[in-house]
Amino acid sequence: MPEVFIDNERYEFEGDQMALQFILDLGMEVPFFCYHPSMSIPANCRQCMVKAGQYIKDQETGEYELDDDGNRKIRWFPKMQTSCALKLSDGMVIQTQETSEEAERAQKDTLEFLLINHPLDCPICDQAGECPLQIQTYKYGPEGSRFEVKKVHKPKRVQLGPRVTLDAERCINCTRCVRFADEISGSKQLTIVSRGDKNYPMTAPSETFDDPYSLNTVDICPVGALTSTDFRFKARVWEMNQTPSIDITNGKGCNIDLWTRDNEVLRITPRHNSEVNDYWMPDEGRKAFEQFNNNRVSRPSVKLDGDNHSNTSWNNAIETFAEALEAHAPQELLLIGSPHASVEENYAFNKFFNLLGASTAKFIPHLISGYGDDFLITDDQAPNTNGCRLISLEETDSAGIKTAVAEAEVVIILADDLVGREALSADDLSAKYTVSLATNKTLTTRASDLVIPITCVAEHAASYVNVDGRIQRSFPAKETKYTNRRLNLEMSEGRLDRYGTNFDNWVKEEHKIDCLPAWEFLNHLADRLGLEFQYDHSRTIFAELSDQIESLRGVTYERMDDEQGVQLPIEQNEVTQA
Amino acid sequence: MAEQELAFTQEELDEIERIKAKFPTDKAATLRVLWVAQNKYGHVKPEVQNLVADTLEVPRSHVHGVASFYTQYYKEEMGKFVLDVCTCLSCQLCGGYEILHHLEDELGIKAGETTDDGLFSIQEVECLGACGYAPMLQVTNGVYANNLTKEKVDKLIENLRNGNLPEFESMVMRQNEKRKKAVS
Ligand code: SF4
Ligand code: FES
Ligand code: FES
Repeated sequence: MPEVFIDNERYEFEGDQMALQFILDLGMEVPFFCYHPSMSIPANCRQCMVKAGQYIKDQETGEYELDDDGNRKIRWFPKMQTSCALKLSDGMVIQTQETSEEAERAQKDTLEFLLINHPLDCPICDQAGECPLQIQTYKYGPEGSRFEVKKVHKPKRVQLGPRVTLDAERCINCTRCVRFADEISGSKQLTIVSRGDKNYPMTAPSETFDDPYSLNTVDICPVGALTSTDFRFKARVWEMNQTPSIDITNGKGCNIDLWTRDNEVLRITPRHNSEVNDYWMPDEGRKAFEQFNNNRVSRPSVKLDGDNHSNTSWNNAIETFAEALEAHAPQELLLIGSPHASVEENYAFNKFFNLLGASTAKFIPHLISGYGDDFLITDDQAPNTNGCRLISLEETDSAGIKTAVAEAEVVIILADDLVGREALSADDLSAKYTVSLATNKTLTTRASDLVIPITCVAEHAASYVNVDGRIQRSFPAKETKYTNRRLNLEMSEGRLDRYGTNFDNWVKEEHKIDCLPAWEFLNHLADRLGLEFQYDHSRTIFAELSDQIESLRGVTYERMDDEQGVQLPIEQNEVTQA
Repeated sequence: MAEQELAFTQEELDEIERIKAKFPTDKAATLRVLWVAQNKYGHVKPEVQNLVADTLEVPRSHVHGVASFYTQYYKEEMGKFVLDVCTCLSCQLCGGYEILHHLEDELGIKAGETTDDGLFSIQEVECLGACGYAPMLQVTNGVYANNLTKEKVDKLIENLRNGNLPEFESMVMRQNEKRKKAVS
């Protein structure tokens, strides 16, 4: 097998490999900016310099030539090489900054150049704390600058598009953003203008950077030049707490991280998963932070008259619900499950009412045909349509559900704004006793007689099956009134969570929603009704499910965590359309 | 100028087709087609850049990036005579800025501006490859005026006002002047 020698160690490699990626894969480091594993390699930042050469082989014998001391002779390449664009070849010798002073010097000098016109405004820059330029300057850069003349000034606070703000002075012109628009999203909206010392990325004057994937450029910009207009100046990155989760705004199930502080989700960024979304996610999914924080149903409520609701206690809500159930025969109940809710919620919901004797819950897929693209945006507006199919809820459409509602007396809806998405109208529900288990205030909760607040994806651990039949799960990121970050070992703690106390004026105990996981609420309801139904954790529900359902055999939360989701043996064609 | 008014004539489109045929990709024809447009309109303002992009079917951003790089492409309407004064290294060392400032004083405008009578524009530009005859300037993407002095600049302006463009000069490096004489 061909061999390379990196920092005096021998490694074997196969196929076409670039030195930088090979080194990174070995868990070692060479600083870099412009390289990105999913995009073309322009080698323009010049940061990833290494010293490289080749052991000399005798043409005829194929043996390595030796010097007088018996060491193999090396023919060094005449100049430093950019490792990102250096293809490994048999017998190549590479010295990184760890073993070569020249490489170390080259990297340091490059950084000095990159910083010449950089404003060095880290104290007010959103990127500080997660900035490759900042980190690498600390690690590999010069201690000061020898540049004493005036810096070049460039445009600041440019609204590049509706969601992205540019500070051109911070830009190091790595072209990652330009390449993203060219190669990944395909909008080709960006270019580098005024090439020379005043260069920066820009759209054509008649265009704006409204690419539906534009915010990915903020993630990959290795400096603070591109920032998210929404998130600017909201929080320092080290104050936030990062929790892995799943995008619930469409059917793709992009892997994401929720960034929280004081129990508010402040931003959402993609998490790498080569099977689903690679490094990317649509801008729409990042907007979901609003629905996790705002307009939540907090505390149960009952309808008084007209559209007026009044908050009530959990005890009273349970009592009211139980009385409604006792007053009606099981055939008079209509259960509507939800592609917007998790597998566990749907399963527990359906099982509970099955125990009461009601028939299987129905659900209506939430599709907008033609909405999707061939990338990460799907026609499916819900994260768990396939999950509902998996547990064999009864799939129906708007007409079907209207008929079913007309025939029922009590309608119980799990987390789905059926009125808002026009599968039902408020009139359809007006003559019925309607109960909504809901996360957010919607037209549907407004039309409901009893509203039970339940946890959203940012508050519970639960799984979702995406359009391709991959099951993936969330973790609780936000505390509710009834959970505690320090006691719940599933929750991550940020710096503020760990070291802050209620007595610090920068820690807030606010933003906790008065809600329960759907299954936990049903536990209480079961107690009241004397039903045999008790789930202490979504994990227990899932364990029961994986015993029952053939395609979930052997699937566990642990496997979903280790394998970044598990592909279920679901037929592809059954997946796309109802 | 509204965008819909802009269009290439059939003749120009034929020329663009001939240009395209010379390059492996249409994108590579950007520079040449920008010239076609600039010759037609006298500038390549954003709407003209878009026309070029749409005609070539390349991204508008790409054409904008190219046009913004070259001072030779006029991104706005310019005076009849565009004086591109080189202030790059060699010219700078030989007094390029003095020439530029003298010109600015004479014409009463700054680099990047156009005189009210629409006769002159001044641009500060990078090396035009005539370092041997620094300082120098170029007139409207055409002839060079070399080895400039303030007097030469005054003369040049006067001539241009009278509609006389400078003649093309065949230049030799100063150190080669003797040899040139000997040869001739
Ligand atoms: S804005 Fe950021 S990503 Fe774009 S070229 Fe500049 S440094 Fe690179
Ligand atoms: S990462 Fe290699 S040159 Fe930029
Ligand atoms: S520096 Fe002026 S022509 Fe080269």
